[in-house]
Amino acid sequence: MSRLLSEEEYRKTKAFRVKRWYHGEKDAYLDKVEMQPQEEFMEDIQTKKKRLHDEALLIQHVYDIEHNRKLKLFSKLYQIVSVIFVFVLIGILLFVVSYLPPVGNALNPDNNEVAAKYIEDGMKDTGAVNIVTGMILDYRAFDTLGESNVLFIATCTVLILLRLDKNKNHKNDDTTTKEQEEENDRLYEPKNDIIIQKVACVLVPIIIIFGIYVILNGHLSPGGGFSGGAIIGAGLILYLNAFGFKKTERFFTQKTYKWICFVSLSFYCLAKTYSFYCGAHHLESGIPLGTPGDIVSAGLILPLNICVGLVVACTMYAFYAMFRKGGF
Amino acid sequence: MNIGMTALDKAYEIVLTIFPILLACMVFLCLVRAIKGPRIADRIVAVNMMGTLTMVIIAILALKMNEGYLVDICLIYAMISFLAVTLLTKVYMGIYLENKAKKEEKKNDRA
Amino acid sequence: MIVLEWIRFLIGFAFLLGGLIIFTIELIGVFRFRYVLNRMHAAAIGDTLGISLSMIGLIIMSGLNYTSLKMLLVVVFLWFASPAASHVIARFEVATNEELDKECEISREER
Repeated sequence: MSRLLSEEEYRKTKAFRVKRWYHGEKDAYLDKVEMQPQEEFMEDIQTKKKRLHDEALLIQHVYDIEHNRKLKLFSKLYQIVSVIFVFVLIGILLFVVSYLPPVGNALNPDNNEVAAKYIEDGMKDTGAVNIVTGMILDYRAFDTLGESNVLFIATCTVLILLRLDKNKNHKNDDTTTKEQEEENDRLYEPKNDIIIQKVACVLVPIIIIFGIYVILNGHLSPGGGFSGGAIIGAGLILYLNAFGFKKTERFFTQKTYKWICFVSLSFYCLAKTYSFYCGAHHLESGIPLGTPGDIVSAGLILPLNICVGLVVACTMYAFYAMFRKGGF
Repeated sequence: MNIGMTALDKAYEIVLTIFPILLACMVFLCLVRAIKGPRIADRIVAVNMMGTLTMVIIAILALKMNEGYLVDICLIYAMISFLAVTLLTKVYMGIYLENKAKKEEKKNDRA
Repeated sequence: MIVLEWIRFLIGFAFLLGGLIIFTIELIGVFRFRYVLNRMHAAAIGDTLGISLSMIGLIIMSGLNYTSLKMLLVVVFLWFASPAASHVIARFEVATNEELDKECEISREER
């Protein structure tokens, strides 16, 4: 490598070393960080004896219930005393609860003018026979908007945490991809049971129609968007269970979910945020209230119920599919 | 005429009060079977039974309080209990068969 | 007419009592049989016959209105769903029980 020095002398110079380090040909840690051969760990005979003696004592005094009479007695006494204690506690709590005033008593602190006003004017202002639905979708509609948004955010969060990434960092020598591992998770479950399929063919339409009925009657009888949405979600889960993921993805994909939630939530926002700009007392929306007791009445409550119901149904199905498969 | 109507009302009240009490006692007895049952299928059967008895209680109460919409809850209960039974057995069977296959693989590896 | 009202009450009460008796028989069966598949036979009685008799009694007591229609829908739903639930539980039990030969007779080809 050098014209002036011989080979052996060149290897002793600094220049050679620098060049070797620069090209990375020498292991920098050789001869410097090597470990010396280790001795075997021999326990001192005294410590070993002491350890065995301690363990024997422990077993005899604490863990060995059958041969130790004191421990047996104690464990039986413990069971009896714990049951007695629980019942005494239940008795005390029930006794204290019996001091509460009866429901609906006129002197209760929660029978004040706020409740009286809502009960008197509820049906006149909102047009809904069911005052509770009038409250959550007309007087306090902003809270319900927050609730629907929370459901949407929860689904997005679970999606971020549980979703399988499809084409990222695939090494070619991996024999099973992540998707296949998820498939293997459900490999042994019974699939395509003909009885469940035939029963689902009959029952799923009944369930979905019943869910739609509960949503549409939100302002006339107890029900509304949340319970109706849960029922529709349960119907979709039954369909998925009977037929498998491939058939359900024919009509319910990520795009469907995205569009349904987007349209419902933006319609809700647009319908109820005008009152921020028009003044806070403003309740009318141009849609006539109609006669109470009809299905098409109560102004804006019916469309809002439908929006909330759709969001809840999609959320229920999405949670189930994400926890089973990792995506949908 | 008046006395006849009130006797009928009393009869309705007595009947529609005693039946839910008896059915509620039976629900608790089902719970005993759910705790005792040595196999998993015992417990699933007991929970299904509890759901059915509760449905009858709700229907009787719907008639007693003259509120027609409580029967919707019965339908929801039936749906939920059916869905629960179907899904639970499917998942349990999957886990059991998977464990069995793993054990046989281990045996074949060793042998 | 008062007599017709009393007759309606008595017929409805008779059906409801029949339903309660069947539920009691079901409960005794679930406790006294010795194996899950036998207990499932007993539990299936309540799901189909017991609830239908009770609901028919309640329909007669309540007259012809939308509540009765909903109760009929509950009965129809349960008649579809309950046998499927029994099938699923039985399949689960047969698949996961190692010692099925001791409880039932199985022909060698089915195993």
